[in-house]
Amino acid sequence: MAEYSCLIVEDSPMMRQLLVFALARVKGLKVTEADDGVDGLRKLAGQKFDIIITDINMPIMDGLKLVKRVRSDPVHKDTPIIIITTEGSQEDRQRALSLSANAYITKPIQAPQVIAKVKELLKIE
Amino acid sequence: MSEPPAGSKAVRSDPPPEDLKRERDTFIQQFFRRGAQLSEELLGDIERLRQQVRDLEAENAKLRSQIASDTAIRDLLRKIDELEEEKRQLLALRTRSGGAGDEFAERFAELEAELANLGTLQVASVQLHASTTVRRAFRNLRELLAQFLGAAQFGVYWEADDATLVPINVEGISMKEARAVAIEDTPAGGAFQRNEIYIDDIDSSLGSIGRPAALIPLMMSSQRLGAIVVFRTLSQKSRFEPADFGLLKLLSTQAASAIVHAHLFSQAGRRAPSVQAFIDQED
Repeated sequence: MAEYSCLIVEDSPMMRQLLVFALARVKGLKVTEADDGVDGLRKLAGQKFDIIITDINMPIMDGLKLVKRVRSDPVHKDTPIIIITTEGSQEDRQRALSLSANAYITKPIQAPQVIAKVKELLKIE
Repeated sequence: MSEPPAGSKAVRSDPPPEDLKRERDTFIQQFFRRGAQLSEELLGDIERLRQQVRDLEAENAKLRSQIASDTAIRDLLRKIDELEEEKRQLLALRTRSGGAGDEFAERFAELEAELANLGTLQVASVQLHASTTVRRAFRNLRELLAQFLGAAQFGVYWEADDATLVPINVEGISMKEARAVAIEDTPAGGAFQRNEIYIDDIDSSLGSIGRPAALIPLMMSSQRLGAIVVFRTLSQKSRFEPADFGLLKLLSTQAASAIVHAHLFSQAGRRAPSVQAFIDQED
């Protein structure tokens, strides 16, 4: 039985697949996928997740808007959020973290890095 | 003084002369005085001897106590030695077990990384061959290069009949720019001629059209069909890691066939061959 739940919001099916594959290494973690920010909010409306991983650059609703919406929602405001993006500049990192994202990972992502960050935020040994 | 025997005529002796009597009295007095003095000296000696006995007894008791104390100290020293030895053994054991633990953790991390790499390759391979249109094949290829390898500027080149490389898909640069460069004349050209993967030793994020960061020959079986040229990577990726080599090799051996198969499938009206087509197959 899953002990933790994770929502992945990513428009690239390839990246979603890679993240799902990587997070399968985290025991007890159930992963739900969303195609973009709007799909992500739809999934969040029906369930409270233990952690959210979101891309920044997505069609319809990008990751930064999603983070804003999540942080203003009393139900999800404390949910840890990891932002994944292609941008590697300090400015982008600051922009993401100023929205109260808990972590920021730049592409190309390494599966062990994602696993370690998820475990850290969920306090899994 | 005794009486004279009966029948004997009593003879009265003359009294002793006075001087003799004085001498006798003096002697007696001296005798008794000396006796008393000797007695006193004897008593003193006895008392001194008793004191000596007491002192000896006290010293004896002290020595006994000392011996007992020394034994206890010897016991304690022996115990300390034993504990020190035990401590040395435990420390040695801890060092050995600690080393084994570190080794295990290191090996575990290596296996996790290896597994992650295999996962990446599996996802990449599935996505490449899931393309049923050329457009989709290029899209997947672009995603792979950008998201998995961190490529920022790259082009997919096809080999023309005259052996020149012609760009057929690009990202981060214009088609005009891609056409302008003769890949064969860049440092990567030699590796391309040898059908080898090329990685320049410069900071890959600082690569350029004139000096690409990497070149991946596109092979289909043993036939070379073209190349993927990565001109530069994202700013946060300054070099290709050993983990990237598996993906570069996969792209070299599978990307061309994914593009060709997607093209043939599109040309066939996106219809799979019939059973008869396989029965009629010559080879």
